[in-house]
Amino acid sequence: MLSKKFLIASQRYLLFIFLISLIVSILLAVTIGSFKISVFDILFGELDELSRTILFTIRMPRVMLAAFVGASLAISGACLQGLFRNPLADPGLIGVSAGAALGAAFAIVFSSHFISLNFLGPYLIPFSAIIGSASVIIILFIITKGFGYDGVTYMLLAGIAVNAIAGVGIGLLTYISDDSELRSLTFWTMGSFGGITWPLIIPALVVILFSIIWIIGLSRKLDLIQLGDVEASRLGINIKKVRFGVIISSAVVVGISVSLSGMIGFVGLVVPHLVRILAGVNHLYVLIGSAIFGSILMVISDMMCRIIISPAELPVGLITSGLGSPFFLWLIFKMRAKS
Amino acid sequence: MSIQTKSISYEVNEKKILNDISVEINPGEVTTIIGPNGSGKSTLLKIISGDFENITDKVFYDETVLSSISLKRRAQIRSVMSQSQMIMFDYYVKDILSMGWLGFENAENLDVYEKVLEKIVDECAIASLMDRKFNVLSGGEQRRVHFARTLIQLNYEEKQSINKYLLLDEPTANLDLRWEVRLMENIKKIAKTGIGVFLVLHNLDLALNFSDKIALLNKGMLHSFGSVKDVFRDDVLSDVYEIDIKVDTKNFRIKYY
Repeated sequence: MLSKKFLIASQRYLLFIFLISLIVSILLAVTIGSFKISVFDILFGELDELSRTILFTIRMPRVMLAAFVGASLAISGACLQGLFRNPLADPGLIGVSAGAALGAAFAIVFSSHFISLNFLGPYLIPFSAIIGSASVIIILFIITKGFGYDGVTYMLLAGIAVNAIAGVGIGLLTYISDDSELRSLTFWTMGSFGGITWPLIIPALVVILFSIIWIIGLSRKLDLIQLGDVEASRLGINIKKVRFGVIISSAVVVGISVSLSGMIGFVGLVVPHLVRILAGVNHLYVLIGSAIFGSILMVISDMMCRIIISPAELPVGLITSGLGSPFFLWLIFKMRAKS
Repeated sequence: MSIQTKSISYEVNEKKILNDISVEINPGEVTTIIGPNGSGKSTLLKIISGDFENITDKVFYDETVLSSISLKRRAQIRSVMSQSQMIMFDYYVKDILSMGWLGFENAENLDVYEKVLEKIVDECAIASLMDRKFNVLSGGEQRRVHFARTLIQLNYEEKQSINKYLLLDEPTANLDLRWEVRLMENIKKIAKTGIGVFLVLHNLDLALNFSDKIALLNKGMLHSFGSVKDVFRDDVLSDVYEIDIKVDTKNFRIKYY
């Protein structure tokens, strides 16, 4: 096995522990909630009809989506940080989440005015959000000339501009929305995994899984890019191609995630840092570690949302931002102390 | 068989950086570029490395035009060390070294890498740095690690028969006297194995002692190009550097007044 040579022993053990923790947290998440299901009943296959229905049609899709969204946000943060050689890079930074949010807001506010569209039902908001994030990717692609050779700063500035434009759009939509639209808009921007069904998420999970595997395949190239773009290209790396691959794949996974679950902040920023602090900075480890750790974090956060004020639910974005922002402050403080 | 540049001219914002430069780098020789600040030394080295894609049609590696050589192939035939930028994340020295090895992507036999690594670490005397974080090393130590990485890249062998080239931009910057001399001796030894070495140096003493050929640049023009004896003349150097310089050919020393 190749990875044996590229991951040091401590990293292999840690990834193994992560994996076990992920399985445990998924088992906990599908059993804990306002309706209790026993772990042993699942393991020994002794479920009654009601438990079976709740487990397979409500809990499982929800927990799987949480796991995949956590992995998406964390790994795209990790690979963007590597690509831009900037520990503060985040999927939100290039404007993809904002584009998705604008698309979703559009659907929320206007869907009630076009009743004929309602047969699309649950697909309408995610679909509109995907169009939003895809538009952002296309705009960025055009104005940075295919994520061009000298475009890194340019790209980040473009992301800031796109974020601002989306903010204006969302603001306008908020202004013209009525009370019930405003309420669903607000909840959507705080993120939630509620009301998820298998048909809605299976295509998303497949795309996310392949994108994550593809990103992990870029790990050595991302390591070489740390020497500098010029140095990496002298070592035979086609920088433009790597940049294209990283940006497109992270935009796709983030776009899909945001579309299905709303805005969930700080995971992309915080998780890769924690993973680096634990056992090293080489990208094979950081990317795999971030994906698994992001899953764990999201599954547990979602579980907490469900139980803290049960039977009501907190928006999951509140929990991740609530945990993430103090960590972010600590990070800035530490960086300042270091320099 | 050599690297040749065919009358390179290069300008940035209509300012001429290099004008009509033709040099040749032979395998087995140390060819050194010297010249005052701003004479275009580093730019010439970058052009030969292939950093500026729009001018690679003027550079020839063993009679093949550089623009027709793929990035992957270039990495196999020439290895470059320049003023590096800082590394953001906390890599270990051994991680940085492994970045120079071109064999990982083909899942190649890793034992070969282990052997090459051992040899280079020994040659460059960096064994004591291996398990340290790169970012905490001093500037000079970082240079030595990057130099070792450059050599590891050069040691990736697909075919024994091809010519390889080592391009170095001020490899001795930040090094103390001992490491400066050891590095130059190392470079000389590498050239003896048949590798063509091309380097930018500021220190004229080192250039005089360790070079086979000298390219003297001044204001973007190739002032003179030839053997050390031809270029290291009192009148030539004094003219270019605009101070009085005497070359002590007996003791291989430069004297300034």
